[in-house]
Amino acid sequence: MRSTSPGLCEASFRRRALPLVIGLVAALCGVLVWGQEDVRCLGCHGKPGFKKVLPSGQVLDLFVDPTLIRLSVHKERHCADCHADVNEVPHKELPQKVNCRRCHYQGNTEGAPQTKRYLEFENSVHGKALKAGNTKAPVCQDCHGDHFILPGSDPRSNVSHANVPQVCGGCHLQIYGQYRESIHGKALARGVKDAPVCTDCHGEHTIAKPEDRTSSVNPGNVSNTCAKCHSKIVIMERYGISAEQVATYNESFHGIANEFGVLKAANCASCHTAHDILPPDDPRSTVNPKNIPKTCGKCHPGANANFANGRIHINAKERSAGIVFWVALGFKVLTISTLLGLFLHIGLDLFRQIRTSRARAKGGDKAGEERS
Amino acid sequence: MSTASTGGWRPKDAEAVVSAMEAKVSETLASEIPTDLSAEEAARLRQSLLDSLPREAAQDARRLCRLFTNKRERLAKAEEKRLRKEAHAEQCVERLSLHLRVQHLIMFSSCILLIVTGLPIKFHDAAVSRIIMSFFGGPSVTGLLHRIGAVGLTFIGLYHIYYSMAFETGRRDFGLLMPKLQDAKDAVQQILYFLGLKKDKPLYGRFSYIEKFDYWAVYWGMVVMITSGYILWFQETAINQFGKFAYDIAREAHSDEALLATLAIVIWHFYNVHFNPKRFPGSLTWWNGKITVEEFKEEHALEYEEWRLSGKIPQEEESSTGTLGRRGE
Repeated sequence: MRSTSPGLCEASFRRRALPLVIGLVAALCGVLVWGQEDVRCLGCHGKPGFKKVLPSGQVLDLFVDPTLIRLSVHKERHCADCHADVNEVPHKELPQKVNCRRCHYQGNTEGAPQTKRYLEFENSVHGKALKAGNTKAPVCQDCHGDHFILPGSDPRSNVSHANVPQVCGGCHLQIYGQYRESIHGKALARGVKDAPVCTDCHGEHTIAKPEDRTSSVNPGNVSNTCAKCHSKIVIMERYGISAEQVATYNESFHGIANEFGVLKAANCASCHTAHDILPPDDPRSTVNPKNIPKTCGKCHPGANANFANGRIHINAKERSAGIVFWVALGFKVLTISTLLGLFLHIGLDLFRQIRTSRARAKGGDKAGEERS
Repeated sequence: MSTASTGGWRPKDAEAVVSAMEAKVSETLASEIPTDLSAEEAARLRQSLLDSLPREAAQDARRLCRLFTNKRERLAKAEEKRLRKEAHAEQCVERLSLHLRVQHLIMFSSCILLIVTGLPIKFHDAAVSRIIMSFFGGPSVTGLLHRIGAVGLTFIGLYHIYYSMAFETGRRDFGLLMPKLQDAKDAVQQILYFLGLKKDKPLYGRFSYIEKFDYWAVYWGMVVMITSGYILWFQETAINQFGKFAYDIAREAHSDEALLATLAIVIWHFYNVHFNPKRFPGSLTWWNGKITVEEFKEEHALEYEEWRLSGKIPQEEESSTGTLGRRGE
């Protein structure tokens, strides 16, 4: 028996150590049990290269890297929490597509965020397509990912700002290609934080068809959507773009017609296109002066090069408007001076009439001779 | 009896009425008094009825007097009014021919239509513009109405130019409307008169500087609005021909001149013909073309002289049917 410190004899040591050991073992068992659930799945699905070849020749990659899940927002979850229809291992049938609404609904007690987004999604064009039976319509995991879901603020996430176009491009390939060539896409590629991505214009869970009156890209709403950035001086001055473009559009005949409900009137996308937006000095741009007749010609048949002879977005109050500024100024001066003159004349006339009638009331004959 | 009204009934007449009624009542009493009354009671009843007679008769008489004199007064007033109207009618001259009045009518109808359909576009932010637009049935219909007004205005503008050349009166009036140095002198004298620094108003011919201003301001306005309007209407042709900047100039001119013209009409023209205390609530000259001789003498003294010398002023004879050219005094 050692006698190292007073009071530390074998009996007391055992007394102290035993609960510790039991605890450790229990924990270990717990961990094993807890991990046991996943271990059964990972027995096959944890092996890299685990795949299935379908009769059509398509190869399904069935490998799931557990470390990815442990790094994602679902690190506390088990396979069966989502793949709830898998009861035995090996499972004879192909599991159904996971329904995220098992946990992700307003009022859930699973620890998932409290959100109504799933309802918004149901009303969106994707949700409606899904309900109509379109098997290609995306569900949550098609955009957010499946085993490596991270919040949008994390740059590694599928739905982080910079990654959105790629995710949407997975189905909308052609538009993704157009976007990448556009000035917005190029800015994003350069790392510009302000550059808009698909969701900035179309929304996230509320995406609706352009024909839908509530859609942010409905002809009646397009200018408001573009205005979210293009009317803000703070953003626009970083890139040397005028922040007046939306305002000048709203004052133009196109803008006024649009405001009064004439939806076939031109909006931002009619001239600038939706996904091929390029600056005017780019020869491919629809708003390059050489291409203006063709762009305007879409609605104004027969438009010639003279359509480019003048500013398109024009504010008559600015000197940059050239001769139009002087016309506006001239009329302003004319109107004010004319009306001032007329008011003065009326005022003097009344003044004289009042004086005369007062004098007549007081003085009788002498003033009565002078008729106003 | 206090029959203070002029002429008609005198106290003696009231007495006559009383006696007549007494006689009548006696008859009635003779037949109506119940026979089962005692002689005493019958006598008392008769007496009380007779006593009340004068009072009632007097009341009736007074009432009849009043009715009679009221009617006389009413008839006298109506007659007076008729005579006054006739007197005025004799004192009216035709200043604006039918030809001119019809032109004015077509012009202001077109103008009102243009203003009402055009201003909602200029002030598109205002909530009332939306109401007006939907009242007309939307932007397309409003635009169509505006173009109808435009065609009307163009037609009358061109017709007026034709009138000013092809008709004797048109040529004469057009010549008289030309601005002259005298107009500037008149304006100065008029302003000094308003300020009380001159005793007399200037003497005007057929058109004072005010009327000349109204005419030429409208002329200018119509030229600007019609030219810019057609550029806006046929914008593709116009832009193809002249360039987009021409369209922008036209748009600016059309928008600004519209406001100036509307304000000038609503403030200045309406003051001259409606709100001027001399003319309030309004002159009907635009409708019947007439002004009174007094107004003629006062407002267009030089023209009045010409008319007098050439014998065109109607003296005391009937010249036209009665209309109200100006509120009588």
